[in-house]
Amino acid sequence: MEATTTPATILVVDDNRDNAEIVRQMLEVHGYTVLVAYDGDKALAIFDAARPAVVLLDVMMPGRSGWEVCRLMKQHPVHGRAVRIIMLTALSAWDDKQAALQTGADDYITKPLDLHDLLARVRRNLALVGPAA
Amino acid sequence: MLPDCRVERRATEELADAMDALAGVRAVLVSTSNPVPLRAIVEKARLQRVPVVVACRDEIARRRAVELRADEWYRTPAPPDEIEWRVRSATSRVAIASTAAADRIERVEYEEMLYDTLTGMPTLPVMIERTRGLIKERGELVVFYLNFVRYTKIEEIYGWEKLDEVLETTAAAVREFLDANAFRSTRMMVGFTNDDDFIFFHVPAAGVPAATDRDVTEAARRLQQFVAERLEEAHGEDIAALFDIYVGYAHVYYNPKIRLERLIYRGIREAANAARSVEERERARKVADLRRVIHDRSIYIDYHPIVLADTGRVFGYEALARGELRSLRSPEVMFEVAAEADLLWELSRLCRARALEGMRDRLTDGELLFLNVDPHDFADPAFVELEHVDPRRVVIEITERTAIKDYPKFRERLRTFRDRGFRFAVDDAGSGYAGLGSIANLEPDFIKLDISLINSIDTNFIKQNLVETMVGFAREQGAMVIAEGIERAEELDTVRRLGVPLVQGFFLNHPERERRGAARQAMAQAGERGTDGRRAE
Repeated sequence: MEATTTPATILVVDDNRDNAEIVRQMLEVHGYTVLVAYDGDKALAIFDAARPAVVLLDVMMPGRSGWEVCRLMKQHPVHGRAVRIIMLTALSAWDDKQAALQTGADDYITKPLDLHDLLARVRRNLALVGPAA
Repeated sequence: MLPDCRVERRATEELADAMDALAGVRAVLVSTSNPVPLRAIVEKARLQRVPVVVACRDEIARRRAVELRADEWYRTPAPPDEIEWRVRSATSRVAIASTAAADRIERVEYEEMLYDTLTGMPTLPVMIERTRGLIKERGELVVFYLNFVRYTKIEEIYGWEKLDEVLETTAAAVREFLDANAFRSTRMMVGFTNDDDFIFFHVPAAGVPAATDRDVTEAARRLQQFVAERLEEAHGEDIAALFDIYVGYAHVYYNPKIRLERLIYRGIREAANAARSVEERERARKVADLRRVIHDRSIYIDYHPIVLADTGRVFGYEALARGELRSLRSPEVMFEVAAEADLLWELSRLCRARALEGMRDRLTDGELLFLNVDPHDFADPAFVELEHVDPRRVVIEITERTAIKDYPKFRERLRTFRDRGFRFAVDDAGSGYAGLGSIANLEPDFIKLDISLINSIDTNFIKQNLVETMVGFAREQGAMVIAEGIERAEELDTVRRLGVPLVQGFFLNHPERERRGAARQAMAQAGERGTDGRRAE
């Protein structure tokens, strides 16, 4: 079976549509299937239906915060254990990273985004998802 | 079981090939643990938008089902209505994949209300619904309440991932026990309440008398033992020793005039109260046990090696005191009981004295003894055990069991020890309480990372970043970082790569045990045998 050639699906969640668009284009150029959500509720619905391998999740969003969305995704009965979640955050203090750990996040990127760094982080997280991705 | 459905059986290998030809199939239920056909089935089913439910025989099969992203899974054996529910849930998930987003969110949340996501056990509303018919028929029901007391402690020490693993092991063990052992001929349902406790309903089958008090007490004892064994197998003695079950129960008699929900909730409350009074009785007994332990000096010391990350050579030993009585095996439990009984200083003195006694014939040149000391101990006027030891050989490991009240005074006490040549380690660094600022204040020579930071560090990049930060910080402060709780090769590789110089954990060495009786015997028997081969590994 040629399952390994299926491109990994990545969900990008950011209320700033310009940011989301830039990230989407960059990831698509590198061959990933990209889904985009502009708020937490939509992100959870897409997450449940599409089961993305990696989620890029903005922390500061109106409505459900990124932390809450992260926690809910990680609690998903079927896909919660398999997904890798990368938080996009302006925060970089020790305590903030501690808080990120409590929600179950796997990785983080500080804003403003460095696209090169972002791609590297997506890759290293995908490497841990295993062949099913 | 699915009254409105037709069920067809196929052999696993055959199914993988026949998937393309199966038109009109609403769901596939697979019980294989062989990953090859399972993967083929899941992949083909996904293309055809047919949900797959996997019946998992064990933990490995469950992990595989999750990895392959099966739509649902359950652990076998499972009651028919759970299987039905899983199949329906998977079917509906696929069916509504195209409907409005908001509906789906509600459904996910509704699902969480009915089944605990972690243990897969039904929650109370589901249990009450299922019991309704049975209790009317039989007229009575026994509610058991299983109170698990140390779970929060596990989360504090090891982090929430570990707690999740422990809860899964426990849930599986409880289910297995009830299926195999207790009250075999009767109907039984297990549920899970959110604060770490389990509830189960026992409805006697027709013609079988309800369990007597003696049956229940005996079953509770065996259940506790069974779960403890499973926890020890899966997570080691330290975690198993942190846990206790107290079982309470109450009879509920059917009364058509009172709503069933009210009857059952009342029963649960009574059973929970009963469990709590068992717990109080046990605590009183533990205090008595602890007084005896202190009087008889019946603790022993585990010396857990701390080794150099790159060579594995022993750098020192952390002395861990354990009670000889099983109920007081865990140091966390011992100190908790001591705090309640106002015996903290007495217990600490005993632990220090015993650790130092054992150090004499253990340490070879250059090796250090890491001695746990609570900040509260420095105020003890009888803190004298360190008067007669070589300060260059002892590292005082500050373990914050109680919050530091008088900071300036505490630092002044530290200063006197430092002036005499003792070195210091801070324990549990990075656990949220001990931020970088308060660590710097103590000017430690060693910084011990909190276990929760090391657990699964190989797959969590945030943890890696935190540890890297701490290593850099320590270097600036002239301190050495110690990573404790290393349980897997991947964890060791990761902390090595991050520049952690010292490591400790079951993956590297098991603690070296010295029982009091054994030590005394060895000393009495003959000096010529020296250290009786303890150092041979």
